[in-house]
Amino acid sequence: MKSPFQFWVPLAFLVCAGVLLWDPVPFVSPVAARVPTPAWATDPTPVRQPKLKPEYVAAGFTYQCMDCHRIIPSPAETFRRLTQHTEIQLNHGINTRCFNCHHPTNRNAFVDDFGAEIPWNQPQLLCAKCHGPVYRDWQAGSHGRINGFWDTTKGPQTKRRCIECHDPHHPPFAQLPPAPGPNTLRMGRPGPVEHGGRRDPLRLFAPDNHSASTH
Amino acid sequence: MADVNPVANHSQPPPGEAGVSRRQFLGQGAAVAAGLSALAAAMSPLRHLSDDDLPSVEEFLQKHYKEMTPADKERALERIREQVKKRYGVDAKVSDPPPLDGVEFVYGLNISRCIGCRKCVHACVAENNQSRSPEIQYIRVLEMEKGSIDLETANHHYDPDQVPRPDKWYMPVQCHQCANPPCVKVCPVEATWQEPDGITVIDYDWCIGCRYCEAACPYFARRFNFTRPEIPKDEINPNMSYLSNRPRSKGVMEKCTFCLHRTRVGQLPACLEVCPTGSRKFGNVLDPNSEVHYILKNKRVFVLKADVGTLPRFFYYFDERGSRYHEPITPDTKGKELKEGA
Repeated sequence: MKSPFQFWVPLAFLVCAGVLLWDPVPFVSPVAARVPTPAWATDPTPVRQPKLKPEYVAAGFTYQCMDCHRIIPSPAETFRRLTQHTEIQLNHGINTRCFNCHHPTNRNAFVDDFGAEIPWNQPQLLCAKCHGPVYRDWQAGSHGRINGFWDTTKGPQTKRRCIECHDPHHPPFAQLPPAPGPNTLRMGRPGPVEHGGRRDPLRLFAPDNHSASTH
Repeated sequence: MADVNPVANHSQPPPGEAGVSRRQFLGQGAAVAAGLSALAAAMSPLRHLSDDDLPSVEEFLQKHYKEMTPADKERALERIREQVKKRYGVDAKVSDPPPLDGVEFVYGLNISRCIGCRKCVHACVAENNQSRSPEIQYIRVLEMEKGSIDLETANHHYDPDQVPRPDKWYMPVQCHQCANPPCVKVCPVEATWQEPDGITVIDYDWCIGCRYCEAACPYFARRFNFTRPEIPKDEINPNMSYLSNRPRSKGVMEKCTFCLHRTRVGQLPACLEVCPTGSRKFGNVLDPNSEVHYILKNKRVFVLKADVGTLPRFFYYFDERGSRYHEPITPDTKGKELKEGA
């Protein structure tokens, strides 16, 4: 056995061991740094918390609506610029008159189609005057928020009213900032779309790959 | 060139003498020693293994969920409680709520109302003890051009200052709890199955992590734990159950379970609770008074990828009149509808 083979074998093994221990190609984790989730992203509080009471706060004092309106008459038409309540911008489509909703004589109530009063804490009856299909869906539960228990025999259920999501003076649901997007291993980061690349939603974008591929 | 001559090779060492020469002994000994050192070097990453990475004997001998007796289950739940206490320092309430009689869960999602705020995504992560690093999310919100439903070009990385964008619409996708689930059919070890209330669950202790189910799912609803999930101790949800949100280990699949630890005791799922627009609807479809029953009966409903025959229990619906974000109500547009209608 004068063959040089018997020296090559241990040498090859030693080189193997050396390479394995040296680890010349270190592992680069594709796991991106954690993006903190803002607290509001998991907060189930409705976007509005209406008082459901005919109260008005001015100069640090809280008034009942009728405290003033019992004495001070308001103009019948409200197309003209308001002198009071100027913070209210009425942007409710073709519904441009205050007294379409507010009761003309009892300002602590709303008004229905027949001039009768709708209590302040039942705003959905007021909205139902015009928004019939949505009111129907809200009653049946396919429109609007429901919180708590689906099985009402096991716990309470809260059915949110219209004005807990919609501002009656400007009803479209307000835009919100989006919560952080996905940074998961298989959903990755945004691809180099600005360079004309077609985005593959399942493609893995490691942090380094991403910066390299955009240049 | 004696080596090429077999006769010369055989003559050295001569037959009958003690087998190994000194030179051979040293040469072969060096080869064995170097081989062993290479093996040790190759296996050296194993030194990073901790106790948590290896299953305990009890865990190793644990039976499949469906074969466990009530006593076995109680032992398994106790073991999970201890593991959670050890790993996260939290006294968890680990339960195993059974499916309810006469209940089949169905989910409805109103795409006319969804604004794509992604609150459902994060509420789900917090509720279900998903890994924060690497991130695992069950819900994926797709942003698409209005007037199209092209999933190929849908974007889940959208990040404008405000949502919804006027020319886009949003479609959250999560597990559809199919009545004909392809993920269940492909599992080689029956670690995933459909429960009587329609929820497809996974026994995390039985899953071998082959990811066949992930490949089979047409909705990309299943997630794999490539590493040990990392969850900060103060963010653990202590309300856990065996089949849903108990902490998972490395190398197993996980998926949305309609929050069965909540829904099987009558509560609504976390994604629904947090939705600011009320786009998400959940309930028992067998109850004729439930919201989902009303939606399926009266609203215009569709399922995603109906052509693949999975029979989802997750329905998208829309309203007679959709979102009006494309025409913001401003003083300029006041009375416009009156004129158009006249």
